[in-house]
Amino acid sequence: MSDTTLPPDRRQAFSDRVRRAATNGRLTAGLILLPPALILFTLFVILPLGESGLYAFYDWNGYGAPQDFVGLRNFEQMFGHSVFSIAVWNTVKIILISLLIQMPLALLLALLIYRKTPTNAVFRLIFFVPYIMAEVAAGLIWSFVFDGNYGVTASIATTLGIERFFVLADRELAFYAVMVVIVWKYFGFHMMIYIAALQGVPDDQIEAAQIEGASRPQIVRHVQVPHIKPAIAVSAFFAIIGALQVFDVIIPLTNGGPSNQTHTIVTYLYEFGLTRLRIGYGSAVGVVLFIVAVLVAVFYQRIFMKKGTA
Amino acid sequence: MAEVRLENVTKSFGKLTVIPDISLTVPDKSFTVLVGPSGCGKSTLLRLIAGLERPTSGTIRIGGDDVTDDEPSKRGISMVFQSYALYPHMSVARNIDFGLRISNMPTEEREKRLAEAARILALEDYLDRKPSELSGGQRQRVAIGRSIVRNPKVFLFDEPLSNLDAALRTQMRVELAELHHSIDSTMIYVTHDQVEAMTLADQIVVMNKGRIEQIGSPMDLYDTPASVFVAGFIGSPKMNLLPGKALGRPDIATVGIRPEDLEVTENDGWDTKARVVETLGSDTIAYVRVEDVGEMTVRLPGHIRLKDGDRLKLRADPERQHHFDEDGRRIERTDV
Repeated sequence: MSDTTLPPDRRQAFSDRVRRAATNGRLTAGLILLPPALILFTLFVILPLGESGLYAFYDWNGYGAPQDFVGLRNFEQMFGHSVFSIAVWNTVKIILISLLIQMPLALLLALLIYRKTPTNAVFRLIFFVPYIMAEVAAGLIWSFVFDGNYGVTASIATTLGIERFFVLADRELAFYAVMVVIVWKYFGFHMMIYIAALQGVPDDQIEAAQIEGASRPQIVRHVQVPHIKPAIAVSAFFAIIGALQVFDVIIPLTNGGPSNQTHTIVTYLYEFGLTRLRIGYGSAVGVVLFIVAVLVAVFYQRIFMKKGTA
Repeated sequence: MAEVRLENVTKSFGKLTVIPDISLTVPDKSFTVLVGPSGCGKSTLLRLIAGLERPTSGTIRIGGDDVTDDEPSKRGISMVFQSYALYPHMSVARNIDFGLRISNMPTEEREKRLAEAARILALEDYLDRKPSELSGGQRQRVAIGRSIVRNPKVFLFDEPLSNLDAALRTQMRVELAELHHSIDSTMIYVTHDQVEAMTLADQIVVMNKGRIEQIGSPMDLYDTPASVFVAGFIGSPKMNLLPGKALGRPDIATVGIRPEDLEVTENDGWDTKARVVETLGSDTIAYVRVEDVGEMTVRLPGHIRLKDGDRLKLRADPERQHHFDEDGRRIERTDV
């Protein structure tokens, strides 16, 4: 909308704001600080996004300029591909496991160790170590744990005197193993969010509830959890967006196998788009993932993170 | 009967002893105020009575029962916190009847108690509001309402008025006094404000460094302070504490003269010069310097108009002086 279409009072307010910004240095600060961020964001986010959206309509191997326009064929193939369905379902399962197991586990541990004591500080560090560990390293460690020949599961099988089992090679069990690793890897992050929030709950509210006869679970339910609802909303948001992006834990663990049973949307994109040099197809998967992530973000923010709740 | 009795109670946090050894009786249905400067242990003492802290040693009895190891909810007490401790996500009604709900009290009885508390505290129109939609005074009333509905044997107040502005504090002080008269329960009230202590209490307990300096009625403490500390703490403006030597009494370590016990004279008396004069309307407070004696505060009737720098002669009524020994303990006048 051009300035001339504004009503006179709003036009005046706008010009006042500009004048204030010019005199108090905010305009200068904006002019100096904004361009670097804007240029980098445009170069590395906006342009690749736009290009990806363009390549999604081409059959292109990444060499030369894309010329073979195929319309919506990449999308048709993707939605008709059984492995893509598995990948989507696996991603949904990771979201569910994050919300229903990882977050409650993180909350439970946070409630146990949120108070500032030396012992709790040690436990906090121990629980947080998986999160700060590189995903690839975590994947490799767990691939050793699950190794049926030399790993921990092999030792367990030998101790129990049962037949050795290969969790990561089992079509039924492999994805459960992946989910165990994901819960282990990321619960510490959510736990830290809850700990920070729980430390912000005023002690006297908890003491008031104690005096009124509330039991520990009642205090958690009626006082602490309502207090940290905004933190839970943020944590769930990160859990969902993180689940949509799971990639580097799976590659060293299963590489999407056995029989493509442990792919997520991102590993599917990597496997069937990048490694097979089908950049156009991979772009189509990326576009779908991007749209889903944006929709989730927008709706989640509108529903659960309204002003006053987060 | 809900007499509160503390017998040789001590409290330490690690190596730090906050309360060395206290014995105290709070009579049934009294309004007892624990008063003292910040860090004197008065809030810790209240938390010990509430059960929010366990004593390192000693016994706490409420209504004759030993409650030393009982949970807070089993002691028959309720507590109003300095910050009100209201649950921000609950309505006023839910805040007030929270304790009744979790104890599964029948709905009819619960609603009756809620309505009664709301009536006493004039909160009927605010029951559906959240605490954030209330003023400071209304929040304080909700916190008191939460205490009332439980019909406790003992009410505990931890500096409940310190977050309110001066006008509201005065109003709430009156309301608390009325509340005590109407519900006739034992109340223990912690404050560092000696005006609150003087106006509300039947019995004042003056604390200093974890010890009790003096217990008595407000006027006992005002008229016969047992120590220099009490003399300086009770009364506003505070008592002038002067070295005995400077007043020609080498046998007395400290002489205490209340600002209101100094009078302006025409001829005899100390020749002083007013450094600063505060005109309060009802009173005129002058901060004066007396050569070879020291600084003094004088409280004069409001009709006496002074200005900074005025000279005036002052005299202290010998009958109204307080004498203290080297240890700061009171010397009774018959002993002098």
